Amino acid sequence: MLLESKENLTIDKEEFKPLIVAFCCNWCSYAGADLAGTSRLNYPANIRIIKVPCSCRVNPNFVLRAFQNGADGVVIAGCHPGDCHYSTGNYFARRRLTLFTSLLNYIGIESERLKVDWISAAEANKFATVMNDVLEKVHKLGPNRKLRDVRWKR
Amino acid sequence: MARIGVFVCWCGSNIAATVDVKEVAKEAAKMSGVVLSTDYQYMCSEIGQNLLRNAIKKEKLDRVVVAACSPRMHEVTFRKAAELAGLNPYLVEIANIREHCSWVHKNKDEATEKAIALVRAAVAKVTLNQELIPGEIGIEKRALVIGGGIAGIQTALDIADAGYMVDVIEKTPSIGGKMAQIDKTFPTLDCSACILTPKMVDASMHPNINLHTYSEVEKVSGYVGNFEVTINKKARSVIIEKCSGCGVCIEKCPSRKTKSEFEEGLVNRKAIYTPFPQAVPNVPVIDREACIKFKTGKCGICKKVCTAEAIDFEQEDTKIIQKYGAIVVSTGYDLIDLAKFGEYAYGEDPDVITSLEFERITNAAGPTAGKLLRPSNNEKPEKVVFIQCVGSRDKTCRGKTYCSKICCMYTAKHAMLIKEKYPDIEVHVFYIDVRTPGKNFDEFQRRAVEEYGVNYIKGMVGKVFPDGDKLRVYGVDALSGDTIEIDADLVVLAAATKAKEDAEELGRKLSISTDTNNFFTEAHPKLRPVETHSAGIYLAGACQGPKDIPETVAQASAAASKAIILLSKSKLINNPCVAKVDETICCGCLECTNICPYEAIASTIIEYRDHGKMIKKLVSEVNEALCQGCGGCTVTCRPGAIDLKGFSNKQILAEVDALCF
Amino acid sequence: MEEMISKMKKIAYEDLSTKKVDRVIGFGKGDFIYEANPIFISNLEEVDLLVWDLFCVNNLSKYLINELKNYQKIGIFLKGCDSLGFNQLVKDNKVDPDNVIVYGVPCEGMIDPNKLSKKNLLKDLRYLRRVDEKLIIVTKQGEKELIAKDYEYDKCLKCKHPNPVVYSELLESNTLRNSILTDDFEEVDRIEDMNSEERYEYWSEQFSKCIRCYACRNICPVCSCDKCIFDNLDIGVSGKAKVDSEDQFFHIVRAYHVAGRCVDCGECSRVCPESIAIDKLNRKIIKDITEIYGEYDAGLNPSKSSVLVNYKLEDFDPFETSKGGK
Repeated sequence: MLLESKENLTIDKEEFKPLIVAFCCNWCSYAGADLAGTSRLNYPANIRIIKVPCSCRVNPNFVLRAFQNGADGVVIAGCHPGDCHYSTGNYFARRRLTLFTSLLNYIGIESERLKVDWISAAEANKFATVMNDVLEKVHKLGPNRKLRDVRWKR
Repeated sequence: MARIGVFVCWCGSNIAATVDVKEVAKEAAKMSGVVLSTDYQYMCSEIGQNLLRNAIKKEKLDRVVVAACSPRMHEVTFRKAAELAGLNPYLVEIANIREHCSWVHKNKDEATEKAIALVRAAVAKVTLNQELIPGEIGIEKRALVIGGGIAGIQTALDIADAGYMVDVIEKTPSIGGKMAQIDKTFPTLDCSACILTPKMVDASMHPNINLHTYSEVEKVSGYVGNFEVTINKKARSVIIEKCSGCGVCIEKCPSRKTKSEFEEGLVNRKAIYTPFPQAVPNVPVIDREACIKFKTGKCGICKKVCTAEAIDFEQEDTKIIQKYGAIVVSTGYDLIDLAKFGEYAYGEDPDVITSLEFERITNAAGPTAGKLLRPSNNEKPEKVVFIQCVGSRDKTCRGKTYCSKICCMYTAKHAMLIKEKYPDIEVHVFYIDVRTPGKNFDEFQRRAVEEYGVNYIKGMVGKVFPDGDKLRVYGVDALSGDTIEIDADLVVLAAATKAKEDAEELGRKLSISTDTNNFFTEAHPKLRPVETHSAGIYLAGACQGPKDIPETVAQASAAASKAIILLSKSKLINNPCVAKVDETICCGCLECTNICPYEAIASTIIEYRDHGKMIKKLVSEVNEALCQGCGGCTVTCRPGAIDLKGFSNKQILAEVDALCF
Repeated sequence: MEEMISKMKKIAYEDLSTKKVDRVIGFGKGDFIYEANPIFISNLEEVDLLVWDLFCVNNLSKYLINELKNYQKIGIFLKGCDSLGFNQLVKDNKVDPDNVIVYGVPCEGMIDPNKLSKKNLLKDLRYLRRVDEKLIIVTKQGEKELIAKDYEYDKCLKCKHPNPVVYSELLESNTLRNSILTDDFEEVDRIEDMNSEERYEYWSEQFSKCIRCYACRNICPVCSCDKCIFDNLDIGVSGKAKVDSEDQFFHIVRAYHVAGRCVDCGECSRVCPESIAIDKLNRKIIKDITEIYGEYDAGLNPSKSSVLVNYKLEDFDPFETSKGGK
């Protein structure tokens, strides 16, 4: 596959390319990412976005699965509290993720690897800033081996 | 096995310059279930869409992935195209390789690799997509307008003229709102009441309009086309049907200690009162907090003098429950509290007033019968100072960061009104900038300066210092840098406008959002300015942001037409991406019902046979017409019994797996 | 003790014979002196098997789910901690309180056989009783007086509700114990004080011991789903392979599923055959909730919605960076 063939081509095989899975709500953060595109802002290609209707749709299971299968970092982005398209979804998400991020941290996952932020449809700059920031921090931490499923190839 | 077709769009060079589209198509062809993978310059063009349609038919595709621009752009386009070819539109997924890939990355190798990953995720998801069929719902042919100011009146008249029933809820005893308080309007200087009152009467006489004054929204449930609203009609203590509006009760009422809200507290009103003479309905209301009868049990003079027997002390709040197809919110604005602006001595000296108080003083129907008199001594002022931007464009936490929009113009109007009546009064205006965009606005403001000789000073006032009979105004002329001191007789503050105090609460009842300043948020600032994110709820007037009268009226008519469009439809199509419950897994804890913002989840008891025994089981049940598809319930559900169609647990996990490939 | 046992027998006998209940769930003696097991009584002659001693640590509340499938009205003996679990079962619609008579039993704190064993006191144990803060034990070697606190379960040392929070009838006792109102979460702090590598190592070691017997889940009064997500392979969330990542997945998700609902009865850790510190996960969440959302009150009021299905506009927001971005 392309990934492998590319790896053979790169001179420095040890080069660390983090993989970040980002869950973005359809109404704010996904649209913010779109605007980042329209505004031709730059952020690294290692960020891969999954569209969800609302930040409250993000099940902790999804986050764990991403870490199991090779993500080095996970981002969850939704509308600012008060601006939820579904009016209250992100208030519930905020509580859930407050406890869940704390729990993962307690288990020993570095808090920089799971980033939650509120990014509106107008905040293209913030989208790019947050993504660059997450990537930089994860890069510093190095590849994530915690929670990793040894049977998965990445 | 699925038969998936992948179509990679170049978008001219928008995608193709950064992503090797051929390589993406080649890699996609190797993915599980993909039977066709191709690329084309413009997939959204007619030729591109034909390519898609023909391929679906020829290759018997049962699922489609289009790798192109954002789904927010063309998902609808490609789903329609697929539908034309006989494929259920929800079997189409978009891989966003433009906004999320080619436009944000520069390195072609990296962008290509990412595009392949995004296509892989879309293929993994679409493999699990199922045919979805939207439901249909009926529409209640009746609209509700919340707020009876000029915005609400205009909206109600337009919807009623289109032939639909409209109910208007107004919190105060009369419709009319802020416009009823205003003297003249800019830039034409025609009399506000003269143009408003006929509309108020039209609204009250219109066969399709029902006015609920002295009423508030208590509860809103339901959804677009089928809202159910509980209205609390406060006890008026006067029977509307019997009252002749003669006003004797008001005249005889001995309680005279309550500040008149309509007159901005400049004078007192009785306990039984109509807010102003042209009130609609022209029926008084008893303020039970102020009424001697209600406070002490003694009095009841109004009842004795009322020949129509319209006074009813026993009257209670009544609840009206009514169904509506559409709701327009037009609750208006208020002025900010000036308690934090101690430097202007508002509240400390009676001759420092707000612009709205000035409207009452200069109004012929106001407390001074239109004569410009100082509130302190009822004498004519010699020098009047207007201070602009009191709390507007204010970055400190005292005021508001936004421009209140109307102050520059009404201050010019006020200045002109003074000069018109009393050319000898000196008028000074302190301003940051004069903002006059609008038809004939700039000409109007220049007339104030050039024809009437109003003295405009660019600069802010540092302090207003009450000094004996005078008000010493200390300011700075920002152009010359000179400090200025004016011994004024009257100071008028252009206090910032703000959202209604209870806007957020009403927003919560309606499930519509408010911005950081508590103004209601429109669905799109440019393209959907009168819609909210909640389908079927529209915005009119200053509750959405500061506005002058012409803008308010224009927006009111726009909101009315949106409501009319909705009401004129015979049926509505539902979003089929809604939650569903697997009854065999649901454990009946009903936690999901607690978080649903639409009250779309209820409980039901099912019966099933287990080992020859009939067993009753409590489970959750989703009302698909109410569900908007946020998916919050799916996370609350521990056993995973609730899932969201179109964004199922399995689909999202498949995307995660594919991205981590 | 003896007085309580006769009270228990009396009420069970009365209610069974008057058909007020058709089943009684209580404690019976196990094979060893340091063992008390749940017993289920329908016949009057079995009432005599009821016991109450310092080993009645079992939370009986969850047995109601199954028993109510076959019996109309059940009498059950519940301690303070058990009664919180009962309230959660009511809240989750797993138990109809109209079909249950709760006999509330004030609890003095239960004795942990493991702690006795560590001091070699379990062998040849013949008799043991509590007198206020003292523990009198009789072994082959004779009588010994110990400090009761040294042998109580850890959870009993922090007991907030020694008396039942809900009951139909309270079996009053003259050995009432005061609740401990401040919880220092000292064991959670100790883990929080480690760095992330140490924490991960600690928990990896804990989780890798897991044999996925699901005893923790089965005893838990708030793990009451008819079909647990971990028994539903079709849902595709996680399998049952013996690999670290799936064990970790199980434990994290189990803890998250009881977040805001866990009544801190500690039964999960007690029944774990591998002694995994399961309660330290639960108690971390309880600590967070207490610090962020105020008093933790799961199990106190069955009509109050739990922390995660609730919100306040002014909730603490650990995520908000800034609006606008650079």
